[in-house]
Amino acid sequence: MEQTLTYQSIDDTVLDTLLPPRRSYWVVVSLLFAGVLMGGACWMVQILVGIGVGGQNNPVHWGTYLINFVFWVGIAHSGTLISAILHLFRAGWRNPIARAAETMTVFAVCTAGLYPFIHLGRVWMVYYMLPVPNQRTLWPNFQSPLMFDVVAISTYLTVSSLFWYTGMLPDLAIIRDHATGVRRKIFSVLSLGWTGEFEIWRHYTRGYLFFAALATPLVISVHSVVSWDFALSVVPGWHTTIFAPYFVAGAIHSGLAMVVTLMIPLRVIFRYENIITDRVLESVAKTIIFTGLIVGFAYGTEIFIAWYSHNPIEMESFRWRAFGDYSLEYWIMVSCNVLIPLLLFFKKIRTNIRVLFIISLLVNVGMWYERFVIIIGSVAHDFLPHAWGLYSPSWVEFGIMIGSFCLFFFLFVLFVKHMPSVSMTEMKETLHEGDSHAG
Amino acid sequence: MPADTVSIMGIFASENGAAVAIDGLHETPWTIERVHSPIPSHAIEQALELPKSRVGWFTLAGGIIGFFAGFLLAAFTATRWSLIVSGKPVVALVPFFIVGFEFTILFAVFGNILGLISQARLPRFKAVAGYDERFSGDRFGVLARCTSDEKERLTRFFEEKGAETKVVVQTDS
Repeated sequence: MEQTLTYQSIDDTVLDTLLPPRRSYWVVVSLLFAGVLMGGACWMVQILVGIGVGGQNNPVHWGTYLINFVFWVGIAHSGTLISAILHLFRAGWRNPIARAAETMTVFAVCTAGLYPFIHLGRVWMVYYMLPVPNQRTLWPNFQSPLMFDVVAISTYLTVSSLFWYTGMLPDLAIIRDHATGVRRKIFSVLSLGWTGEFEIWRHYTRGYLFFAALATPLVISVHSVVSWDFALSVVPGWHTTIFAPYFVAGAIHSGLAMVVTLMIPLRVIFRYENIITDRVLESVAKTIIFTGLIVGFAYGTEIFIAWYSHNPIEMESFRWRAFGDYSLEYWIMVSCNVLIPLLLFFKKIRTNIRVLFIISLLVNVGMWYERFVIIIGSVAHDFLPHAWGLYSPSWVEFGIMIGSFCLFFFLFVLFVKHMPSVSMTEMKETLHEGDSHAG
Repeated sequence: MPADTVSIMGIFASENGAAVAIDGLHETPWTIERVHSPIPSHAIEQALELPKSRVGWFTLAGGIIGFFAGFLLAAFTATRWSLIVSGKPVVALVPFFIVGFEFTILFAVFGNILGLISQARLPRFKAVAGYDERFSGDRFGVLARCTSDEKERLTRFFEEKGAETKVVVQTDS
């Protein structure tokens, strides 16, 4: 990679992706937008008719809305992992994929953030979650993990958006310098008049380092907070201290898989083979093995602790997960998240782009089912047999879920064609320091 | 800027070339005015002998303010109810620490952004004299000032270091 790339070729490759798109691009955008509208229409139905049109009921009062909320928050986390934690560790292989991963973070948090609104039912009451004075002096209860969620997710969205935008400033200046007309004016404003003066770089690099240093504990705290929505209850299968690290590891696992799912088509469509190299994808694949093993360890630990506790309700809860009504979902989860990623131990498999893509899709499926098993499985089969019950999503929930996936991909597809999907500046930094890179 | 001085921009194809020129300029009476770079270069940073950025102080201040803001917000809202549940304290330290932590990060980031834009003096929408569009791409620029009678010597100095040169007309504003 280092031999073939120059500063000029990096700029040319990325700037080429911003050229006017073909008709097929707009067809994809239109289809995704139609999906978003369909999801919006389903939400409208729920607002007009009432929250009862969803499949949630006693005892399963949290259905796909919470499954998808946790799923998308998890997807978001890997973006921060790649951009912030690997930046601190100076891992060069993160540079080609960092921008797309950060973008994934921002759009995934936006998508996740919709679900609490959807699940509220009476969404116009949303201000009750915010610490704003009202005439009845009703304030949020900050002892509730649900309120921790509001604080954590809104902090995460704000921080990851600022981190993403700040990281783009030098690249926006590159686009400005190659643009004309109105586009040049837009990018002049967006780049804040960036000139690459060393006085700016001096503060920028310091500020960016602090961003990374702050985002790292944030990413761990946010998914820990999400896990406490469950862990701070007394429900068997939820009330466990392993939940915070287990959720963080799962988030990174799903996020890495989504990075691969997004990067492989991006690489093919934008001819990024010289930038997103086989070595970069292989490094992500190796990290997926690592996170898959952690997730597998967490699954095992849960079962061990249930057995070791001698708590019959806890033991029954985990027996039922593996062999009860949702056993298919449980074994999909175990297979896709733990067993299938083990195939990546074989170099031939992890360097085969098609197989890697399929494995990444399966991990995404597995991680969705992990959230299903946790959220549905525990409350469907808790303390008393007379309170047991099953759950299946209604068509409204399916519509909203498909709409949310369309929203994520819609935003991502729009972004990659109108903004730099690879950080040109960070790619240049990976080339050998000091050499001449003039084209 | 004195009227009898002139600014020359040396445009380099490599960061090492720019760094060597900056080192050389330290041993001359000429003044380095600005350096442009497409990347944050360690070689240039060392050559310029720049002091550490003060952005971190803004970040720290933001973080401290954030922690107390979060903790006090949670405590204040709890005291509006003063509802004792299961004998637990109204102002609960452990859960409020979580709110304090999230606010610490949020406000530290706000402080960081404030520090960055104030220290780097962004945004800058006025045209910068001598800015070459290649500086965002693959070229490094070193702008140095000398007296009018030394213009040729400074130009030759840059050219000997492998630079392309141009005279920059500075407008005082």
